[in-house]
Amino acid sequence: MTGKNNHFPKKIFIERNSINFPFTKKILENNSDVPTEVIENAQNLVEEIKSLRDPWGEGKKYILLTTQRGEFVKPCPCTPHYIGCNYFIINLDINCPMDCTYCILQQYLTNPVITVYVNKEDLWNQLDVFLSNRRNRFIRIGTGELGDSLAIDPITENSKDLISYFRKKLDILFELKTKSINIENVLETPPAENIIIAWSLNSEKIAQEEEIGAPSVDERINAAKRVISRGYRVAFHFDPIILYPGWEKGYLQVLKCVLESIDPARIAWISLGTLRFHPSLKPIIRERFPLTKIIYGEFISGKDGKLRYFKSIRLEIYKKIVDYIRSNKGKKIRIYFCMENKEIWEKILKRKPTGNEDIEKYLSSPLG
Amino acid sequence: MKTKILDIGKICLEDDRFRISYYFSLDEIVLSLRKAGLIQPPVVSFLDNHFVLVSGWKRVIGCREISLSPLPVFLLEEKDELKIFLLTFYENLSIRRYKIIEKAEILKKLKKFGEEERYIVKNYMPLLEIPRTLRHLDSYIKISCLEPEIKRLINEKDMPFYSIQMLVELDAEERLLLLPFLSPLGQNKQKELLEGLLEVSKKEGITIKKILNSSDITKILNSKNLSYCQKGDKIRLMLNRRKYPAFFSWKDSFESCKKRISWPEEITLKPSRFFEDDEIFVRFGFKDRRQFLKRLSKLRELADKGEFSKMIGLPYDRKK
Repeated sequence: MTGKNNHFPKKIFIERNSINFPFTKKILENNSDVPTEVIENAQNLVEEIKSLRDPWGEGKKYILLTTQRGEFVKPCPCTPHYIGCNYFIINLDINCPMDCTYCILQQYLTNPVITVYVNKEDLWNQLDVFLSNRRNRFIRIGTGELGDSLAIDPITENSKDLISYFRKKLDILFELKTKSINIENVLETPPAENIIIAWSLNSEKIAQEEEIGAPSVDERINAAKRVISRGYRVAFHFDPIILYPGWEKGYLQVLKCVLESIDPARIAWISLGTLRFHPSLKPIIRERFPLTKIIYGEFISGKDGKLRYFKSIRLEIYKKIVDYIRSNKGKKIRIYFCMENKEIWEKILKRKPTGNEDIEKYLSSPLG
Repeated sequence: MKTKILDIGKICLEDDRFRISYYFSLDEIVLSLRKAGLIQPPVVSFLDNHFVLVSGWKRVIGCREISLSPLPVFLLEEKDELKIFLLTFYENLSIRRYKIIEKAEILKKLKKFGEEERYIVKNYMPLLEIPRTLRHLDSYIKISCLEPEIKRLINEKDMPFYSIQMLVELDAEERLLLLPFLSPLGQNKQKELLEGLLEVSKKEGITIKKILNSSDITKILNSKNLSYCQKGDKIRLMLNRRKYPAFFSWKDSFESCKKRISWPEEITLKPSRFFEDDEIFVRFGFKDRRQFLKRLSKLRELADKGEFSKMIGLPYDRKK
């Protein structure tokens, strides 16, 4: 999936009060071949798209330029009763053109349209304040929580500005998280040890069947190799890990490919998380993707009310993956679990996390 | 609108083009008609050479039940079907909340009488407290096409939308096969049974008919000692076992460990829900210090048994 091609975006909508921002002008100049429409109120467009048969499918065809009225920087919401990692997220754009069956945004967001916030000056100001309030501590922060960090980067070129902003802030780990291979802007920007370009990976079968519109796993790993050659560090997120007959072979094959072709010293971390979702996502997935079987696994209701695999299954999955990484050149790679409980950390990683800060320290140190 | 006295037999009740409600009890209306007579005349229209009932279905059917005829009626001069239908729609809207089956019927009829889909979504669905989406319109239209027996069940049990959507996913034969088992169950158990069937069907790649025809379920279905409610419950639990094999395997191991070490009934041993927490809870009561110490000593004795360690190591050690 490239962010800028013949099919995407079909149109760029600009909310009238966002026309005069320099970022709006830049996007429109760089994408002069894309039809545009000025609208009075973004909410009307959102409501219009939401009234369609497949709002999520429709919303992915367009880009809406508007302003962020709230906070750009927020703590990652994680999930109650499970261990978090003190991560912070920057919401500069939301939603993405890829259409993964399991995507939680289908249930989480109320706006199905790919939305880019153009008041970037506010972002820099908010970031300045945010970082100065948190001096003397490591911070992990990144985009890619409510959207893909690089999927529409050919259109926005956000990566260049973000990397440039964070490059000199050496006590901060900044992460761009993607499934895409839109790395041209990243390659054009000077690297730094505190900038991490991360790929969300899955087994090839899951990537092909469930990550609609996303590049193949090989393409993602090749993109990672290219950014490493440029001098960046990378990270990998195996999330969501999905159980299916032959899952072990599928995931270990991808890990083999990663560990054989990438110097472990350039891997900042690998995160693992098995498929989990709010129960209300289930009917949405069932309706939008009637052929997928991923929601019919052995899901129990977790302490946070989300559906997740029964614990013995999760333990088995994590153990096999972690053992493989540890015994295949990945002994020193920092591995963490996303939204898991203490017991799983203890049993699999032999770590007793004492709190979110502890995990943050584990992942941030040594920096670079 | 004129008033007219009309013989009840002249109203063509087979022509239900404007009817919204089908599944109602006649007890109260019959009582009211007997005690107070017909106070509010029904509304009819003369279309296609016969009188068509527009509003007042419950009243007219009640009158027929007690042979109350002729009746005073309001005769509409309007011939446009949509306009006539809107009259009954708004009249009912002002006095009560529509049920899901009625909403489905209304949307189907609005479409039939020529309203554009987008217009229905924007203008009528909010009035019916339905999200304004074409997706929801599609769902309601599908609901309106369900079999009458199923619609009656939905209406009587006030089935939630989520469960109805699952019923829509089944085929007619499957729905009718399930009907007697769903009827006695409450909303939650109905949902669980439907979810179980659909999920096992998708997970195992077999039809619901095949699941219902499997030997273990047929055995339950053919049992003469079980009521429909008990049968429904048993099927639901059986499906749960198929949905959660790892969990039930652990649960069975846990229970059998308890049995093997003869865990005393007066001390409750309970793991967390789905064993998601690694803590296990013990609960017991005591009357005095002596009994308290006795129970503690019993617990100590149990804790020294190998089976106890095995039990608290579950489910991690299950595969070892």
